[in-house]
Amino acid sequence: MKFELDTLVVEEASRDSALAARLVAALGSSVPVSYVADAREAVRPTPGPDPFGAGKRRMVVLKRHTPFLMACPAGSAKFACCGYLVLVLASNCPMDCSYCFLQEHVANNPAFQIYSNYADSFEELDRLSRSAPGRHFRVGTGELADSLAMDSVTGLSKDLIEFVRDREHLTLELKTKTDEIGNLLQTDPRGRVIVSWTLSPEAVWKSSEHRTASPSARIAAARAVLDAGYRVGFHLDPIIAYEGAEKDYAHLIDELLDVITPGRISFLSMGSLRMTPGLRSAARRRFPHDPMLLGEEVPGHDGRLRAFSALRVRLYRIIQQRLARAGRPVPAYLCMETSTVHERVFGVAPANPATIGERLALG
Amino acid sequence: MPHLDDEIRQLAARRHLPDTHLDRWLSLDEPSRAALMEAAGLLRLRTGQLVVALDLLDEIAVRESVSIASVLARPSLHRLLSAPGSVPERAHAFLDELRAMRFPRLRETTARLEAAIAAMRLPAGIAVLLPRDLASDELTIQLVASDAGELNRLIDLLVEKRAELSRILSMIGGGDEV
Repeated sequence: MKFELDTLVVEEASRDSALAARLVAALGSSVPVSYVADAREAVRPTPGPDPFGAGKRRMVVLKRHTPFLMACPAGSAKFACCGYLVLVLASNCPMDCSYCFLQEHVANNPAFQIYSNYADSFEELDRLSRSAPGRHFRVGTGELADSLAMDSVTGLSKDLIEFVRDREHLTLELKTKTDEIGNLLQTDPRGRVIVSWTLSPEAVWKSSEHRTASPSARIAAARAVLDAGYRVGFHLDPIIAYEGAEKDYAHLIDELLDVITPGRISFLSMGSLRMTPGLRSAARRRFPHDPMLLGEEVPGHDGRLRAFSALRVRLYRIIQQRLARAGRPVPAYLCMETSTVHERVFGVAPANPATIGERLALG
Repeated sequence: MPHLDDEIRQLAARRHLPDTHLDRWLSLDEPSRAALMEAAGLLRLRTGQLVVALDLLDEIAVRESVSIASVLARPSLHRLLSAPGSVPERAHAFLDELRAMRFPRLRETTARLEAAIAAMRLPAGIAVLLPRDLASDELTIQLVASDAGELNRLIDLLVEKRAELSRILSMIGGGDEV
């Protein structure tokens, strides 16, 4: 899978970094490269009809001056939560999903940023491990960016895997919608790496997930990395309650379980489409003809729009029942849903985030 | 069709319709522009109503991959344009019907729940309130009593209705009946 860029901008302070050298070597012949003293201007929106879309095609290499590690932005005391920790090595993504929260989250700095000093994050991870001896952490790079979209040119996965594979208290999650697994197949993760795919039915992929790998290609890629020694997980998130969704999601689960047996799936998360009114406006402006953005969403307690309760819980339960039929249990959890919804779907209250996080990290 | 577009611009000016909505109206295919002009005229839609109608029609058209003209030609909407009754009431019913088309399963689920509540035949002192837009799975039960005897009677009645209330709660939470 290849993504088109318009330009590569390198901040002077990152000019001599290994990452900049790799990117200039890989992209310099096809994309104009410029060097700037201060990249702050380059990451801001540019004038034009679609500043966010333009930002995706402008890669900026710069140093990160704030911590790399943060709690997952989806986490909240109001919701059942999986204790996921986010390692921010990049911001924005070359793919373009109509429902993506980044359209609102990074609207003021939409350039596709990659941090040249990413190796500094390793010290943060070691500090985290030292701060809670004996605890296991699941840390992922796929929240503000796709973990693998540009991996063939950045090679970040190799360094990350090299780092975590000797640290038994860390599990790295690489989350993606691509089939960019070339580097992974050349590296032995020693059981410390989960590669996870966001999965959607064909109808959602075609309508909303632009420039991503097809659902079948994602499942095939998952099978390939599983055979290469990685653990695999899946995110049915966002689940979109369109007409016919029940049948399509059931088929998707069947397709997945035909290729990967349930006992080999480390986890499966579910979360219904949720949008702040601001995100919905931004998404509708950019994708006015996408019907997936026009489900029967209503405002909830947290101000976000979600499919009304009965509709989305029913969809969760159908998926859960399909998983339960598979013979061996697939560890599943909900994202950004209340404990009550969790109980309605799984029949039990959710464990606390740290416990779920450790359980998912340990597999 | 310059004459139609002039009429639309004149109506938009009279109603102070926001430019974004006027632009959207003018960007529709000609049958849709004309059908909305007809509805706006016959129902004397006010500014807010026009904005809501445009938004809902646009969303229905995208959801169903149809034109706005074909939505407005549906019998349930078309008959409201010339039905007897006051114009404001017909305008209100028109928007209500558009909302039902935009949120069909929400409307259907709400109707089922309301029917289940009505079937309990509760006395005036007990109200069973559904969450707004069925956004949550919380059912509100309201008791209104002015003396202890009446309160006890209502509570006893509620206890008798426990099974029906649980069923309604299950329906709100995505139970199999919905």
